[in-house]
Amino acid sequence: MNLKSMSKGLLFLALTSTFAVTATAAETIKIGINVPLTGFAASDGTSALNGAKLATEQVNSAGGINGKQLELVVYDDQASPKQSVPIATKLIEKDKVTVGISCSYSGATRAAAGIYQSAEVPYISAYAIHPDITRAGNYTFRTSFVGEVQGRAGAKLAGKILKKKRAVLITLNNDFGKSLVTGFREKAESYDVTIVNEYPYSIKDRQFGPIVAKVKADNPDVIYATGYFFTAGPLVSQLRAAGVKATIIGQEGFDTQTFIKIAGSASEGVIITTSLDRDSNSQESQEFIAQYEKMFNHKTDMVAASGHTAVKVAADAIKRAGSTDRSAVRDAIAKTDLTASTGTISFNSLGEVIKNVQVQIVKDGQFRHYAVISDPELLAPPVD
Amino acid sequence: MQYEISLLTIMGISIIAALSLNLIVGFCGQISLGHAAFLGVGAYTSAMLTKAGVPFTAAVAASMLMAGIIGTVVGFTSLRVREDFLAITTMGVGFLFLGIVRKQDFLGGEMGIAMIPDPGLGKVGYLVLVLLLAATLALFSIYLKRSWMGFTFDAVADDEDTANLVGIDVSSYKLIAFAMGTAFAGLAGALYAHNIKFIDPESFGFVESITILSMVVIGGTGSVWGVTIAAGVLSIFPMWFQFIDDYKLLVYGGLLCMIMLFSPDGLSGIFGRFLNTIRGKNFNASGQ
Amino acid sequence: MLFFDLLVQGLLQGGIYALIAIGLTLVYGLLRILHVAHAGLYTLGGYIAILITNATGSFTLGITVSMVSVGFMGMVIYRLIYQPILEKPPFVALIASIGLFIAMEEIYRIVFGAYGITFADAPLQGTLNIAGIYLRHCEIGALLLAALLITSLSLFTRYSRIGIAWRATVTDPGMSQSFGVDVIKVRYLNFFIGSAMAAGAGSMVAVMNNLVEPTMGSVPSYKALAIIVLGGLGNVRGTVIAALIIGVAEAFGTIYLGNILDRDSIAFALLILVLMVKPTGLFSKG
Repeated sequence: MNLKSMSKGLLFLALTSTFAVTATAAETIKIGINVPLTGFAASDGTSALNGAKLATEQVNSAGGINGKQLELVVYDDQASPKQSVPIATKLIEKDKVTVGISCSYSGATRAAAGIYQSAEVPYISAYAIHPDITRAGNYTFRTSFVGEVQGRAGAKLAGKILKKKRAVLITLNNDFGKSLVTGFREKAESYDVTIVNEYPYSIKDRQFGPIVAKVKADNPDVIYATGYFFTAGPLVSQLRAAGVKATIIGQEGFDTQTFIKIAGSASEGVIITTSLDRDSNSQESQEFIAQYEKMFNHKTDMVAASGHTAVKVAADAIKRAGSTDRSAVRDAIAKTDLTASTGTISFNSLGEVIKNVQVQIVKDGQFRHYAVISDPELLAPPVD
Repeated sequence: MQYEISLLTIMGISIIAALSLNLIVGFCGQISLGHAAFLGVGAYTSAMLTKAGVPFTAAVAASMLMAGIIGTVVGFTSLRVREDFLAITTMGVGFLFLGIVRKQDFLGGEMGIAMIPDPGLGKVGYLVLVLLLAATLALFSIYLKRSWMGFTFDAVADDEDTANLVGIDVSSYKLIAFAMGTAFAGLAGALYAHNIKFIDPESFGFVESITILSMVVIGGTGSVWGVTIAAGVLSIFPMWFQFIDDYKLLVYGGLLCMIMLFSPDGLSGIFGRFLNTIRGKNFNASGQ
Repeated sequence: MLFFDLLVQGLLQGGIYALIAIGLTLVYGLLRILHVAHAGLYTLGGYIAILITNATGSFTLGITVSMVSVGFMGMVIYRLIYQPILEKPPFVALIASIGLFIAMEEIYRIVFGAYGITFADAPLQGTLNIAGIYLRHCEIGALLLAALLITSLSLFTRYSRIGIAWRATVTDPGMSQSFGVDVIKVRYLNFFIGSAMAAGAGSMVAVMNNLVEPTMGSVPSYKALAIIVLGGLGNVRGTVIAALIIGVAEAFGTIYLGNILDRDSIAFALLILVLMVKPTGLFSKG
């Protein structure tokens, strides 16, 4: 009987909270965020949200936007399209956000993008790379590289800068890995790089013994490995332990101190393409890196920088638009020319970001500047 | 109202999915841990067909057919293996299906299928369609339960060997249960695809299969209205519990565990006992 | 050369799988329960190993504390979750176990953070070169540990009084009870041993990856189920062999079938094939 009445009460409480209209807060500008805070993508979600929170804090302490404070409305979508869709509807209809930002993975972002587009509310993808996200329409933008663009940069890095000839691809089997590899393959030949073999692995894999053994037999001089810190760390560690000496090229997924912590000394000499330059002269980047570490007691990473940049772009656009009219803000975003922690941000006609690729190398247990790739033709994102 | 409409649509689709599994697990007693794969079959079939220009109604019908056919094939495995072995086999089928889809570029591979066409009914129209279909399936389930087929399913679920002895063609009935259950799962999948308009292999994985199974078990396996309510509530569970965002998955897991410990026959069991308590009280009150 | 390299890798992975799967098959053999939450104990083993090692500097202490404490945790889970529902239909225990597993993963995330934890100074990272095959010390350690624990278990059940009583209980609980065997004690022992072995596996994997994450157990949770079914539910020897077979199949499969099937599918495809031919698994209960 107790359980019954308890569950009845819980039912009632939950019912009212779901269908209750959110009370309008006093004069804040709202940005909606869908982010995975539980589930398998929780680590990236937490980082991205932290970056977004830091940006909000910075904007507000500088006086807010047009006199009002910025407020983030955050919902956990568990990186699931099934949840990101009702969340998007809720943010647009109930919370009445001016702009939506996705700090989530591609599936969830793509599903929500359709909702934002039909409701004509601007939506910025912080780090999700699925090409169809910006194809949802003129209200969708992306502040991080499309996978292919970064992949092409990787090919130039391997062939032209590092002068390697034989490459093996170790590919993460999801949209992130696949699109990076597509870009790499596209340009490999033009930089004289032969792809000897490709080995796919799943996002859940941590033991790469068989792949390592095969790569050793292939004997390449460079390995283009795609993944996130929790796969890249063990992978790099196991490659080096097996005596594989080839240079390893990674991407933004590697870009976190935790990667270095996991791989230890094996991470020395790993080179990555990314958007965050630890040695950057830019005040934006330096401030971001320092303040992030202070606020969250954790070294920053690429995903956090992406979340940070997305919020800064949104805030800047709302300021330039001078209002929270969603259509005016959208136009303002399209005209963005902003220096953010991840470089100078501007968008092409599709809403894809145009910016340089930073190349970093792990030296003495830290990411350091190695090179910059700024070939506009190579890095041109798709226009449709 | 958009938000409420989207929630109700999701509820409706989940109810169809859960009721479809109920036919297999609840009515016929065959444990299936890979049911989400059949939603996947329906979703992918409908998505591919509508993107190729096939009209919505035809595509959905095709999805049901496709899912039912594959379901029957899987049903054949249920003739080979029993109980716990069957549970794991169906789980394996789920993984195998995903594993294959992931690698096929024409099915979108890892990228999934985006920009799935809108059926053109508008949000409210679609909701009405989904709810009508859910109600139809619920009524069909109740009818089935009371029919001779339902009675036979019950016999098979209870004791296969004895059922066989009394002349029931157990194999055929198992196959029928699988065929029906998976066909309706295909329906749910197709409706899902046109609602969210984006599908990828991850949406139909093991976690999803477990979620649907827990709806059936918490509702009370076999109980049509119990499963309906459980599916409705659990499907929008994450949205209900936004206010304890960080803990909601913990609460969900804990809830599953607790309900199994304290009321294993689910909601229908709770209600049944409640009714008995009332009846008992009335009984005494009449002085008999 | 490559062949042996892959074979060794496969056996290594298989050994880890075996350590995890044994606990699962022990529970099934005794209670007919699919103890999915077992994978949560594997993860817990990894966490405790890292925490104790980081605090005391000794990995030996870390893994020992891990195995013993997780062994006890397994007993607690039996007492609180499974004992009350032993008489209910099978899917009740299954759903309860799944719910418990989800809750455990979430507790790890909330308490230890979403990023996971690493060793302050990872032990056993040195490499040994045996005829061209490089094996890290931790990998050799894992193989040795697996061999040691499995052999000990085998000897224990064959030659010690408690072990024999245990085997009897698994084969026929009613009969053994009439012979005076304390069935409850046997059950506790069952959970202790299985859980401790899983913790051992978790600790070794923690060293091999230098990373323990909340969701570390999600793959073993279903993979181990496939393994114990392949081996014949309740058959320990069958489970070990099945684990090794799957480890090796995955090692070769990921390289040569990588473009057709992903890793998990290889294990399950193998399982389904075998079950179609032999519906009770490679070895029947015995």
